[in-house]
Amino acid sequence: MVSVAARRPRVTGRRYRSVTLGALGLIGFGLVLEVAPRIGVVPIDFAPPTSQILVTLVGQLDDGSFWTALLHTLGTWAGGLAIAVVAGAVIGVLLGSLPILRAATTTTIEFLRPIPSVALIPLVIVLYGPTVRSTLILVVYAAFWQMLIQVVHGVADVDPVALDTARSFRLSPWARVRHVVWPSALPYVMTGLRLAAAVALILTITGELVIGSPGLGKEIDTAQQSNEVRLVYALIVVTGLLGVLINLVVRWGERRLLSWHPANRAEKGAA
Amino acid sequence: MRRPLIALFTAVALLATAACGDSSDDGSAAPAASGKPDAVNAGVIAILDVAPIYLGKEKGFFSKRNIDLTLTTAQGGAAIVPAVLSGQYQFGFSNAVSLLLAKSNNAPLKVVCNGNNSTGAADDFAGLFVKPDSPIKSPKDLVGKTVAANTLKNIVDTSVRASVKKDGGDPSQVKFTELPFPEQVGALQAGRVDAIFVVEPFQQAAIAAGMRKIASSYVDAAPNLTVALYFTSTKLAGENPDLVKRFTEAMQESLAYADSHSDEVRDIIGTYTKIDPATRAKMTLPKWPADINRESIDALATAAVTDGLLKQKPDVAGLLP
Repeated sequence: MVSVAARRPRVTGRRYRSVTLGALGLIGFGLVLEVAPRIGVVPIDFAPPTSQILVTLVGQLDDGSFWTALLHTLGTWAGGLAIAVVAGAVIGVLLGSLPILRAATTTTIEFLRPIPSVALIPLVIVLYGPTVRSTLILVVYAAFWQMLIQVVHGVADVDPVALDTARSFRLSPWARVRHVVWPSALPYVMTGLRLAAAVALILTITGELVIGSPGLGKEIDTAQQSNEVRLVYALIVVTGLLGVLINLVVRWGERRLLSWHPANRAEKGAA
Repeated sequence: MRRPLIALFTAVALLATAACGDSSDDGSAAPAASGKPDAVNAGVIAILDVAPIYLGKEKGFFSKRNIDLTLTTAQGGAAIVPAVLSGQYQFGFSNAVSLLLAKSNNAPLKVVCNGNNSTGAADDFAGLFVKPDSPIKSPKDLVGKTVAANTLKNIVDTSVRASVKKDGGDPSQVKFTELPFPEQVGALQAGRVDAIFVVEPFQQAAIAAGMRKIASSYVDAAPNLTVALYFTSTKLAGENPDLVKRFTEAMQESLAYADSHSDEVRDIIGTYTKIDPATRAKMTLPKWPADINRESIDALATAAVTDGLLKQKPDVAGLLP
């Protein structure tokens, strides 16, 4: 821990530089989108300049329906992600620890996994109508596989010597999962979580947009049907920012939880 | 080291329960024995056509008939019809041709009251537009050309064909391409299609872009055409005729009120759409007669057969109340 603390200033400096570069990239992108419609590269009626989008976005901040929609989206995202992560972790550990079970399910998983979540939309509409539940099913379906596959791989990657040692010390199956399997699979779990978090956000917005359950996606659709082009883009910017924010939070959690992991140590050492 | 992870999982799980909590009890339409109002869920589309039901809810036309109405906007009839059939919604809003097509597939649907009608005049809430410099002068010039329609094999192409036929052209020679309303003006400007058929507020966008209106196709399809209707499942109609009767009465009162209070209509449209006030003030509103124009539905059913959408004419009398 002491050595990590000693390295911290350099790490922070590196992070500042990447944050600055990231912000510069975003500003550059915004400038291109500001200029392109003004000089007529794209029609200004359908691709408004960045400044107009930002003004519309700021105008939304004191609109109650915007915040309600944002909360709905975050709720569906968090709910779907939580279910997918817990189910993926539990089933992943089971499948990863029991080779027979794993062999029996691999084909089924490989059959189900590539089915796009949006293909389930007609089914969930008949079952639950345009409700949060329908969107939640899409989110869970998409995010679950991201988590499951990582956890299965993570569990399979556990050092067999460590596992045998734990066995010879007569650790109970639960204790083996807790003290040997879980810590060693944790990097994979965090990767699964990061992938699942992003996929869950995409499916939340898609579900709201297509199914019509409440949230930012539905607001985008309503704005589209009302021919409010600037508002459509303003809301799309919000979903993009949400994506960035979620990624930052998960990455931060990952760094804190896995500060002991060689991958993190190597990254810091190279700085 | 493990505690933050547990905290994270707990937080996420708590959010999950919060998110799932409200979706358990769906409104059911059980008869109100105790005087408790019937919870009714109606599926509508966020367009100006459904303004009367929003206005009627606000005016209390439903609550005074013991109906606790919840309005849910869905993305078009594709979601509304199955949701009504599966009982998610007790009532739904859909255009007349969609309902005729569903009826011909023996979908157990029953219309309960009128939705909205064309104005019957050249100044309608929907129109057929071409570019200002287009060689197309009237609908018959569309022969061999491509028209954008928001949904294919539905009320838009049926109506546009009616315009072409009325003008002396061969409607079977008009090509249609599917394009959502928000994309149509851009597609016309870019020359990707030769004509577009748009409803408000996109009609205002077409006018603002300088496009030329060559026909009001809903008007050409039939005099005072009933464009859309409210419907329910035959199951609910059979099990709870009293609820259907009360809903129909409330809806008819709402339609009549909306038809004579256009300022209130323009205001209420602002509550469930994002149409800006300037456009709302300019838009041409549909007509909202309380009664269904049966002749016009019959004309649409005949046109659906002529255009090849259907092999035989659906049972119009069985669909309508």
